[in-house]
Amino acid sequence: MVAAAALRVVCCGGSPLHGARAVFSADARYLLCTSGDFVKVYSAATEELVRVLRGHGGLVTGVRLNPHNRLQLYSSSLDGSIKLWDFTDGILIKTFTVGYKLLALYALASCEDSVFAIIPKRGGRDTFQLVSVKLTKTAGQDVEAKEFSVVLEGVDASPKCTAFGREGEYVASVKNFHLQVYFFKRKQLNRFSLRATNAKGGNNLFTCVACHPKEDCIATGHGDGKIRLWRNFYHNKEYVFSTLHWHHDRVMDLCFSIEGTSLLSGGVEAVLVQWHSGSDCKKDFLPRLGSAIEYISVSSDGTLYCTLHTDNRITIINSNLRFSKSIQGLIKARDVKTGLVVDPRTKALVLNGEPGHLQFYCLQSDKQLYSLDIVQQEYIQQAGLNQTDLVKVAFSAQGKWLATVEEREEEPDLELHLKLWFFDEETQSFKLNTQISMPHDDHITAMCFRDMDELEDDSLILVTAGKDCLFKVWVILEDTDPEAQQSLSWSCDFVGSYHNYQATNCCFSEDGSLLAVSFEETVTVWDSSTWDLKCTFCHPPGKIRDISFGRLTCSKYLIGATDHGFLCCWNLLSCALEWSAHLNVVVLQPDPLSEHIAAVSWLSKESSLFVFKPNEPRPICIQRNLCKERIQFAAFVPRDVPETIGSEKYLWLRRSQLYFFTDTQELMTFSTKPPEERLTVSSKQLAVEESLPVTPFSLLLGKHRHQQSQGDIDLTKVVRNRHEQDSPAVKELLHTPAHVLPSASFLCPIFINSLLISKEKKSAEEVADEVEMESEEAEEDSDEEKDVTEMEQENIKPMDLFGEITCKLSKAEEKELRKVRKMDYSWISAF
Amino acid sequence: MAAAAACGGEAAARPPLAFSPCDRRLLAVSGSDGRLRVWEAAGSRLRHEYVPSAHLSAACTCLAWAPPGGRPPPDKDGPQRKKRKSEAAEVDKQLDILAIGTAVGSILLYSTVKGELQSKLDGGHDNRINCVRWHQDNYCLYSCSEDKHIVEWNTQTCKVKCKWKGDNSSVSSLCISPDGKMLLSAGRTIKLWDLETKEVYRHFTGHATSVSSLMFTTVKPMNENKSFDGITGLYFLSGAIHDRLLSVWQIRSDRKEKNAVMSFTVTDEPTFIDLTVSEVKEEPVKLAVVCRDGQLHLFEHILNGYCKKPLTSNCTIQIATPGNDGDSTPKPVPILAAAFCTDKQSLLLVYGNTLQPIIERVSLNTSESHICLIRDVQKVLALKTDVAVTKVKTPVVNSDTKVLVPGIPGHSAAVKTPSSGKEKNKSKRKPGETEDSIEERLGALDIDVSKVKTPGGLPQTDSFAVLLVQGLESNDSDILNKVLNTRKETLIKNTVARMPIHAVIPLLHELTKRLQGNPYSASQMVRWLKCVFTLHASYLSTLPDLIPQLGMLYQLMESRVKTLQKLSRLNGRLFLLVTQVAASETVQDVTEVNQTAKLVYEDESSEEEGSDDEMIADKDSDENWDEDEEKEEQSEEQDMTVEKEINGDSDLEPENESEEE
Repeated sequence: MVAAAALRVVCCGGSPLHGARAVFSADARYLLCTSGDFVKVYSAATEELVRVLRGHGGLVTGVRLNPHNRLQLYSSSLDGSIKLWDFTDGILIKTFTVGYKLLALYALASCEDSVFAIIPKRGGRDTFQLVSVKLTKTAGQDVEAKEFSVVLEGVDASPKCTAFGREGEYVASVKNFHLQVYFFKRKQLNRFSLRATNAKGGNNLFTCVACHPKEDCIATGHGDGKIRLWRNFYHNKEYVFSTLHWHHDRVMDLCFSIEGTSLLSGGVEAVLVQWHSGSDCKKDFLPRLGSAIEYISVSSDGTLYCTLHTDNRITIINSNLRFSKSIQGLIKARDVKTGLVVDPRTKALVLNGEPGHLQFYCLQSDKQLYSLDIVQQEYIQQAGLNQTDLVKVAFSAQGKWLATVEEREEEPDLELHLKLWFFDEETQSFKLNTQISMPHDDHITAMCFRDMDELEDDSLILVTAGKDCLFKVWVILEDTDPEAQQSLSWSCDFVGSYHNYQATNCCFSEDGSLLAVSFEETVTVWDSSTWDLKCTFCHPPGKIRDISFGRLTCSKYLIGATDHGFLCCWNLLSCALEWSAHLNVVVLQPDPLSEHIAAVSWLSKESSLFVFKPNEPRPICIQRNLCKERIQFAAFVPRDVPETIGSEKYLWLRRSQLYFFTDTQELMTFSTKPPEERLTVSSKQLAVEESLPVTPFSLLLGKHRHQQSQGDIDLTKVVRNRHEQDSPAVKELLHTPAHVLPSASFLCPIFINSLLISKEKKSAEEVADEVEMESEEAEEDSDEEKDVTEMEQENIKPMDLFGEITCKLSKAEEKELRKVRKMDYSWISAF
Repeated sequence: MAAAAACGGEAAARPPLAFSPCDRRLLAVSGSDGRLRVWEAAGSRLRHEYVPSAHLSAACTCLAWAPPGGRPPPDKDGPQRKKRKSEAAEVDKQLDILAIGTAVGSILLYSTVKGELQSKLDGGHDNRINCVRWHQDNYCLYSCSEDKHIVEWNTQTCKVKCKWKGDNSSVSSLCISPDGKMLLSAGRTIKLWDLETKEVYRHFTGHATSVSSLMFTTVKPMNENKSFDGITGLYFLSGAIHDRLLSVWQIRSDRKEKNAVMSFTVTDEPTFIDLTVSEVKEEPVKLAVVCRDGQLHLFEHILNGYCKKPLTSNCTIQIATPGNDGDSTPKPVPILAAAFCTDKQSLLLVYGNTLQPIIERVSLNTSESHICLIRDVQKVLALKTDVAVTKVKTPVVNSDTKVLVPGIPGHSAAVKTPSSGKEKNKSKRKPGETEDSIEERLGALDIDVSKVKTPGGLPQTDSFAVLLVQGLESNDSDILNKVLNTRKETLIKNTVARMPIHAVIPLLHELTKRLQGNPYSASQMVRWLKCVFTLHASYLSTLPDLIPQLGMLYQLMESRVKTLQKLSRLNGRLFLLVTQVAASETVQDVTEVNQTAKLVYEDESSEEEGSDDEMIADKDSDENWDEDEEKEEQSEEQDMTVEKEINGDSDLEPENESEEE
């Protein structure tokens, strides 16, 4: 490869999926949702990522289908632009620059050339307004869209808190304890307020709003889990509302089904509730969806629902409330305490997932491999309840043993469990071997295995360091008790301490002969065979934040980072400080396959990366301004095949890939490739033309239709009959009030005439119909055409019904009718 | 690397399966029910399932993944191609199109990303498709069929690009050369075609039966001194149905050589072959051959010219069930396919049932020539099936897990002695133990069964001590429960005071054991412990092996008193103070009490006062016990009043008196 471009930081997972409601494409084959700065297109059938729409320079806050062209998509972003995409091909059609941060986007079918957006009010802090943005139809890619008019003032920034009513006649918006409804035609604004708390102490705060698609009904969700259905809100005083109550905590989102017959609601309970016809008693549930529901959306054909969850998961649900698909990348945990650990067996990244679970995240496919339920306790959704969670994880070198520490803090007590899991090859699952309650009397600060690849189990050592001023060494012992079921179990071998200082870090040297444990300001080095204290290092006044041994050629060095902003390198042979550098290191991560050590510093709100070898104080690579967020953890993941990297400077990325984890729980990595190579993955996909054979069903249907169009004259007659019903004469007859109608004798010939069939006209129309049918068969199966065929089918159905009745009109009957027509009806007027 | 399902052959019993190229992330399997399933190799999870509309009439006969991503068709040679592969592994290129050959002669192109049929290639063959192969660079698809023809398809337009007769009989297998300019085809004999002119370039003898797999093993000729024209000097491998030999052929510049260069021998007909392509001369070709009998053979060989003798495998892998519960005989689990991972060091094994295969990554260890992996297929599947909304796996937690709580040996350090007391207990806990043995024991304890007269005929508290010693000796839980469950402090105190010194350590062990159990009983045991330590501290301090004997107890106490540490310390000090004061007050009276009044010696031979006392208790019937306790309760009430005045731990005097009555 030619000299690689500069190292680029690439986000490779964990970007929040729940920026806005997801949108189904018109045919419900694709699901479009926001993901950080991108819009992702997923296939609803296979849960695969089909396409990523890149181009926004900020968080994408809203996606809407273009109501006038169902194959186009509007997206809004914090970078102040609205983009129009052709999402099936991933082409950016137009960019409208608004110039304000856009917090939500709404598109209405009734508004030809404008969309609605929520923007911050100029001058006011934390006040937002709903505006209508006029999208000019001028040619060109980049268009300014500065022309906008304010619709509502003082709306909530959340896209959930504003909704447009039936056919865009009104807009409802909630904020705090107020609901305001604005009618576009009448230009009338109605405001309804609730008291902050009701008699029973419930929280009346509005959390979300949804409008019925067919009726004038607004559903609002509240902080206490109630849902109110508002009706008759044209009047400021005479409005009514009914209450639905199932959720025990705040309603996170509401959504009406396409026809409005049912209402979907979701909350922190991770249960999707379907309310039928607005009554409190008829409801269906889909429980155990994993985590709190953030957004609910419905496909336009009503067959699929989609829920976005707070842990970055998308669930696709059938309309009969059966779980269908789940798209899960990196789970957003509440708090990642375990750091990034690489499972040697699956090469997956392991970290906190759902509460009490460990997630195994596959880096290659950006998918969750599985999540391991370590705590095995039911998670109870309740505020203020302290639940057991995982704080430390360590794998042995081959991934045979897994050590987990879980803790539950209930002031002033602390509950700690150290669990040692053995990977059982037979059943291909982890099996609990030893569970140690309260291994330390205070929080465990660090845990590590002695990594010795070639040796067997009996040399395996686990060290835990705790705030109770101790570090403990755990070893595997052959159990002497014959009653014990298993022959191997873990027990404590040695307890060490140093001047009653809290132990903060521990790590083994590469060959496993030395153990370094840091106690506040001091690093102690212990011989791992005799557990003698060999030497101590310190760099006052800073407390040790992180320590690491050098590897391979640099194994005689020990690196330590202090919280007073120093990075120190000690020589273990001379027991002297080799060098130190002034650097506020937050993360220190050695590469397991090379001498390189990565240090991430945090200074004046930006992170920088320094890669160095311990034997020389000059860094090999400096990468400033990695990202705006603070980097919490880093991990080197070994590559399967060493990458060929042209530039000398980035040779340290050859054997392993470096991943970062920011405090917004985004996973970043480096790419040495020029951007276009990564960008055009999808465009490079094998372009295979769609040439589908007709399915047996369509063959059957086509044949049937053909027959109909050729043979069944009556059917076409019916078609026309229907048309003639719409003739002015009949319409007049049917729609005029009876008391203004002329006499029946006058009307009768007109009516009967209208029922008769003229022969010339028929043949012409028949031919036309045939042509239409044929062209239909020739048509390919693209989306728009599908719609056409669907419409056609709908037309046919009523024809069939009508046909049965009228097709009996034979020639004889026709003559009869003519006769009737010629008869004199004047006698009727006598009555 | 290349993967090939052994497709073709008249009797393909195994359903076709294919690993996705490059990183082997996905496995496509067409089951016997005609459904196509795509499995994820990591975690063997079902990605999705596709049912072709004519899956019953036109069964799937062969599968091939389209190469991921794309490049403009380059004219590049070996080393650059290698780079392309590593990039493909790095950049997450999506795998999409899967070509499915059917039994009626049509080819389906299925998009695994969209989950729908992309197109159908029709009109090329009128009989069963035996093999489909994608061209690496220009997205041409090659197919061969029972109808003796080979067809080149343009997948962009889904039209036949070229069709020619490939053999006199059916063509069963295809392979495209590494440079993409030649095509190998085989019925029974193997032909090498020039793709541009569609003319036969070379003939090879082939096999006696129809060839089921063809594969190039090298991308560069082994002797680099000659100029390389893209094909000369390369080796390829072929396997045929009903043939236990895999042949290796070399493409030579002279047209004469038509026989195999060498061969590998396996135990049964090969059904799936995978190999790592060697790119350098020294690097051996690694070959994994899955046979019909479910075994996997691994070969490692540096290809270099002739070898007359067929080579046997370096390593054979089999899989079997453990067969320990339910059915006692281990059953073999057939291996369905195997593929080398990108690092060439580990192997993906597919085993079990084709409807729900298990995919596992095994690291290679060729030092052993025969490996039998034991896998509990039932349990692996059971763990997998309960995955619904979330992919949560629950690890196994059995009752046989060792649990360490504070106080148990091994929880903290310094316990390395596998306590001797424990072992003793074990030997005593043998099931054959009966009451008779207690008698024997008592005899062994040198207790003379002599006539003893109770002075007042009344039961006494010291009988508790006797019972306790008995219980400890025989480890009889009934007796121990009876004794240790008493709640009266004075009674406990007296019992402890009167028990023989040699029973102290066993008592402590027993107490330690009980302390670890039920918290309710632990609170009882604490009273006993307190008494033992106040009364026998001096004895205990003389013991040489005190630390190993009582280490566990010490740790237990350490961990228990952690809460409210200061308060309990204060309590202890006060208690010490009070007892000392009380002791100094009553020091004159106490001396007498214990020994004198209780015993009457009739026999001169009796040596141990204590043992005599025990005998009293021994003879006491159970009814007497009850009376005894009742009486004591009465006396206890009296004591209580006294005790309240003197702050709990008073002298032993009043109590003893009441007991003497």
